[in-house]
Amino acid sequence: MPNTHMLSISFPAILASSVHDIKNSLTSLRALLDQLEHHYQDKKPAEFRQLEFETNRMNNCLMQLLTLYKIDLSQFNLAIDEHSAADILEDVVAQQSTLLSLGHVQLLTECHGDLFCYCDNALISNALCTLVNNAQRYCLNKVLLSATQEDDYIVFCIEDDGRGYPESLISSDYKQLPQIDLANGNTGLGLFFAETIAQLHVQGDKQGFIETDNNSQFGGARFKLYLP
Amino acid sequence: MALNLASQKILVVEDQPIMRETIKHILNSFGARRIIEAESGINAITAMRIDKFDLVLCDYNLLRGKNGQQVLEEARHLKLLPVNAVFIMVTCEQNQDMVLNAIDNKPDDYLIKPFNRQQLLSRIERCYARKKYLTSIEHEIDSGNLYQAIHHCKKLLEQDDKKMHLQLLKIYAELTIKIGDFQTAEGIYQEILHERELPWARLGLGAVAFFLGYYDQAITTFQQLIEQYPMMLEAYDWLVKTHEMMGNDEHAVSSLNSAVTLSPMSILRQKKLAVLADKTENLPVAKKAYTATIKLGKNSIHGSPGDYSGLANVYLKSNAANEALKILYELNQQFHNDPEAKLRAALLETGIHQAKGHKELAQKAYEKVFKLNEQFSGQASRELRLEMAKTFYLNGNNETCDGILRDLIKTNIDDKLFIREIVNLCDAIIGDNHAETLIQQIKKELVDINNKGVSLFQEGNIKGALSVFEQAIAKMPDNHTIILNMVKIVIHDIKSTKADPEKIITAQSYINKAVKIGIPHNQISGLQAELDAIQYKTNH
Repeated sequence: MPNTHMLSISFPAILASSVHDIKNSLTSLRALLDQLEHHYQDKKPAEFRQLEFETNRMNNCLMQLLTLYKIDLSQFNLAIDEHSAADILEDVVAQQSTLLSLGHVQLLTECHGDLFCYCDNALISNALCTLVNNAQRYCLNKVLLSATQEDDYIVFCIEDDGRGYPESLISSDYKQLPQIDLANGNTGLGLFFAETIAQLHVQGDKQGFIETDNNSQFGGARFKLYLP
Repeated sequence: MALNLASQKILVVEDQPIMRETIKHILNSFGARRIIEAESGINAITAMRIDKFDLVLCDYNLLRGKNGQQVLEEARHLKLLPVNAVFIMVTCEQNQDMVLNAIDNKPDDYLIKPFNRQQLLSRIERCYARKKYLTSIEHEIDSGNLYQAIHHCKKLLEQDDKKMHLQLLKIYAELTIKIGDFQTAEGIYQEILHERELPWARLGLGAVAFFLGYYDQAITTFQQLIEQYPMMLEAYDWLVKTHEMMGNDEHAVSSLNSAVTLSPMSILRQKKLAVLADKTENLPVAKKAYTATIKLGKNSIHGSPGDYSGLANVYLKSNAANEALKILYELNQQFHNDPEAKLRAALLETGIHQAKGHKELAQKAYEKVFKLNEQFSGQASRELRLEMAKTFYLNGNNETCDGILRDLIKTNIDDKLFIREIVNLCDAIIGDNHAETLIQQIKKELVDINNKGVSLFQEGNIKGALSVFEQAIAKMPDNHTIILNMVKIVIHDIKSTKADPEKIITAQSYINKAVKIGIPHNQISGLQAELDAIQYKTNH
C-alpha cells in the first residue's frame, strides 16, 4: 500500500523552524552555563571547557545545515563586499574566546592590517570557526590562524601542532559526500562546508577552493582557504 | 579594557529573561551603568520616547507583538533614535527573512545568537568606530545639507583610509544620486566595477540609468542582477519602479509579486503590491496582498486605514458587498479618532450602500463624507483626496470635485506618476480632456505668478517679489519653478544687502527643500556654490 500520509506543513518549514527552536534553546543553554560559571571563582571544572566546545559545535553544525540547505534550494543570498581580513580573524577569535579562556590552548593570529578580501564575511568566519573549533580539539597547545596574499588569492590558513589530518581527509575530493567516520566522531562536514562556500566566491575565471595537508609549521594539520 | 560604556545609555530589547540577564551582565562588565530593559516591542518604543539612547540591542524574534524590524522601522519613522545612536539587531540566523525584509531601514549591524562576551564587545566597538568616523557626514545628511555632506565625504576620502575607502565611495555615490548629479555617481560606480564586480555597485549603475531615463538599460541591469542573485530584493524593487515609470503596470505587478513571495513579512512591499494589483484589476492578487498588509499592519507603523478600504473596495468590485461590510467594521474597530479612517469609512459606507441598492442609506453616508471633507480634507493623503473627488463627482457635486482636483494638480504638478493617475481617473469617469484642461489652467496660473514675481524683482521690488513667492510656496509647497525662483531671489537679496546670517539659513533651507523634491543637480549646484561663496566671505 502506498504511503498516503502527507505532512500538512512543508519539510523546509519544519526544518527552518526546528533549527530556530534549537538555536534558541542553545542560546539559553549558553546563558545558563555562563551564569553557572560565575559561581566558581578561579578554578573552574574542566567540564566547562567540554560544554563550551560541544555547544560551539552544535551551533556551527546548525548554521552549516541551514546554509547548505538554502544553497541547495538556490535560496541563498551571497552578500559579497570588501572586508578587512584582520576583522574576519578577529571575529573568529572572539567566537572562540570563551573556549580559549577555559583551556591551555594558544590561538595566535597573523595578518597584515591592510589586507582586504572580497567575500561574504559572515559565511567565511562561520566556516573558519568550525575548523578552528576542531583544531582546538586536536592540537596539543597551539593553533595559528593567518591571512596572506598569494598571487590573485587571499589565503586563510589554520595550522596546529597536533597529530595531523587522517589520510582520508587529505586532498580528497571534498565535494564527495563526507565519509562518516564514527570512530573519530569526525564527519568531514566542516571541510565539505568550507569547500562549498569557497566555490561560491568567484572573480573572473577564478574560483575559491580549499587545501588540506599535514605541512603545518608546527608539525600538525594545515588547512588553507583560497578566495579570489 | 578599551571600551567603556559608563556614559552610554543602553536599551536591551529581549523577551527571554535569561538572555536579558546575560546581556546585562556582559554590558555591566564593560562599565555600563544606564541600562533600560524592554521585553516587548511596544515597551521598547515607549522607552525610546522617554529616553534618547546611544545603543539599542534588539532581538528580532520577540514573542508577541512587534518584531525587531518593526521596532526599528517605527523608531526611525518617529525619529526616536539620535543620529549617532547604534542599533544592533540580534538574530538567530544571519540571513534571509529578517535581513531581506528591510527596505530602507537596516540596522547598523546584526549579531547572531548565541554570542559570547567578546563577540558582543567587538560588534559594539566596530559600530561605534564606524559611527564616529562618519559622524560629520551623517549630521549633515540628517539636517538635509546634502552638498555639505558630500563635501565631508570628499574630505574623508582624501585621507585615504583603505579600510573605509569603499564604504565612503558608496555613501558618496548615493549622495550624488540624491542631489541628482548622476554623471558623478555613474563615474564612481564604474570605477568600483572596474576593480571588482560588486552587486551593490552594479545596482547603483542601474539606478543611475533609471534616473537618466534609460529605462531599457536599467531593466536589463536589474534583471541580470536578479538572475545572478535571486534573493537580491533591492534589484526587484528597482525593477518594479522602472516598469511603473514606463507605464508597464502589469510587469511591475509580476516583478513585485516575486519580491513579495521572497519577503512576505515586508509590509511596504505587500502594500505596494496591493495598490498596483488593484490598479491593474488583478483582484485575486490585490485581495491577498491587502489581507497580508492588514495583518502585518497591526504591529507596524506602516499599517493604515487605506489598507482596509483598499481591501473592502476590492470586495465591492468582486460583488461581495457583505465581505466589504465586515472590513468596514474592522476598520472602525481598529482606528479611533483618526480623520483619515473616518473619511475612508464614510466613503466606503457610501459605496457599500450603493452596491446593495440602499439609496437612502447611501445618501446619508455621502452627506457624512461631505461634512468630513470640510472638516478634515487638509489632513487626508493625496490618494484619499483623489478618491473623494471621484465620490463627489459620482454624486453630482462637480464643484467640490473640481476644487479637490485643482488643489491636487497644483501641489503635485511636477510628479509625473501622480498626475498620470489624476488624468486616468478623469478620463475614466468624467471624460476626456477634463484633467488636461485643468492642468493647462493651473500651469497658466503658475506662469502668471512667476511672471509677477520676476517682474517685481526686475523692478527692484525685492520685498514684493519675495512675498509673491512666499505666498505661492504656501499654496504649492512642492513646485519646482517657484522654489528655484525663491532661492535665486533670496540669494540676490543677500548679495545686494549686508550678508545676514538669518537670510543665509533661509536660503540654505530652500536649497535643501529643492534637493528633497528632486530638482536636478545642474539647476541647483550653481546656486549652492554662490551661497557657499557668500558664507565663506562672511566667515573670513
